[in-house]
Amino acid sequence: MNKTISLFIAAALSTSAYADDGKHEMKHHSGGQMNHADMNHDRGAEHDHGASHEHESHDHNARAHDHGDMGMKAATITHTDEISAALANGGAPVVVDVLGVVCDFCATAMNKIFSKRDEVAAIYVDLDKKTLSLVINDGSDLSDKQIEKLAKQAGYRIAAIRRDSEAMGG
Amino acid sequence: MVCATAIARPVSYAGGWTLIETSNRVSSAGLLNYTLNYNLSVGARYEWQRGSDTRVTAIQPTFLAKRWFGRDYQANLYFSGGIGTAERDVGGIENSETAKFVGVMADWETRSLFVSYEGRRMNLGQLGNQTMHAARVGWAPYEGDTGALHTWLMLEVDHREHMDERTSVTPLLRFFKGPALLEVGYNLSDSSPIFNFTYRF
Repeated sequence: MNKTISLFIAAALSTSAYADDGKHEMKHHSGGQMNHADMNHDRGAEHDHGASHEHESHDHNARAHDHGDMGMKAATITHTDEISAALANGGAPVVVDVLGVVCDFCATAMNKIFSKRDEVAAIYVDLDKKTLSLVINDGSDLSDKQIEKLAKQAGYRIAAIRRDSEAMGG
Repeated sequence: MVCATAIARPVSYAGGWTLIETSNRVSSAGLLNYTLNYNLSVGARYEWQRGSDTRVTAIQPTFLAKRWFGRDYQANLYFSGGIGTAERDVGGIENSETAKFVGVMADWETRSLFVSYEGRRMNLGQLGNQTMHAARVGWAPYEGDTGALHTWLMLEVDHREHMDERTSVTPLLRFFKGPALLEVGYNLSDSSPIFNFTYRF
């Protein structure tokens, strides 16, 4: 049985337990850009551009590419009293799309991990939007890499990060 | 990620503690574990098997072997083990044996559907061997938002080789709010209540 315990520890230290469905990669959307590769939709089967649509002239990386009419608009920050107060104090908004968020234990885990960071002024995990909303203290920074690492410590994986005006839906 | 015999999310976030109490047709048990890493927790387990008045005390590591993520689902595969002592009074003499067990748990859930399986093999030396399988399905009639009360209707079927009534069925209700999870149910085959509680901190 000691062997079993050693195996557990060795495996835990050497193995990544995470897998996803193969469709998601962490993306950082900046400046309002929206890349179709992030949206996890099947162009052939579901993404119907209509009969007159010409793909040659369709710029998938154009700014302000609005997916709203397809029901796929990127989620924006969730406003709670804490979030609004932190934004009013000059904090920077960040919205993180999180994979596998299905229950309050997920929310508890991310709250516990992220709220330990001094950079974080406010946090809210939205189960409906499947997002983690953060407000970073004015003058502080939390990089994409750090956010990804913290999410992993909480037991989750992130799909995309939006900041500033994009996080606000502007 | 729970079943009456299983444990709710036996691996938490790094640095998190979880208190898990289970009481089913066979035993009442408590597990206090600490999550070392996102895929490994170690805990102390005490289990009282009421029918035979056997007390098991063990150290239990649990390893998250794989977690599958999707936008709307999560699935997990866990392996657990344990080693400790088993004690039982036989004819006025206290018998003590080494207790060893291994287990596997798998689950898949969305915000409104749930499926899980757990298997455990326990060796108590001269006090006997036990094998248990349990499967559960669940449905949430509404999708509760963060911090709201989440309610699930569930049905569990378990099979225990060492029991007279080997297979039993338990309908149960799960209530979930923030860091706390409570389950109450009634085993139809053995006419006994179940009560499970999990708290994370």
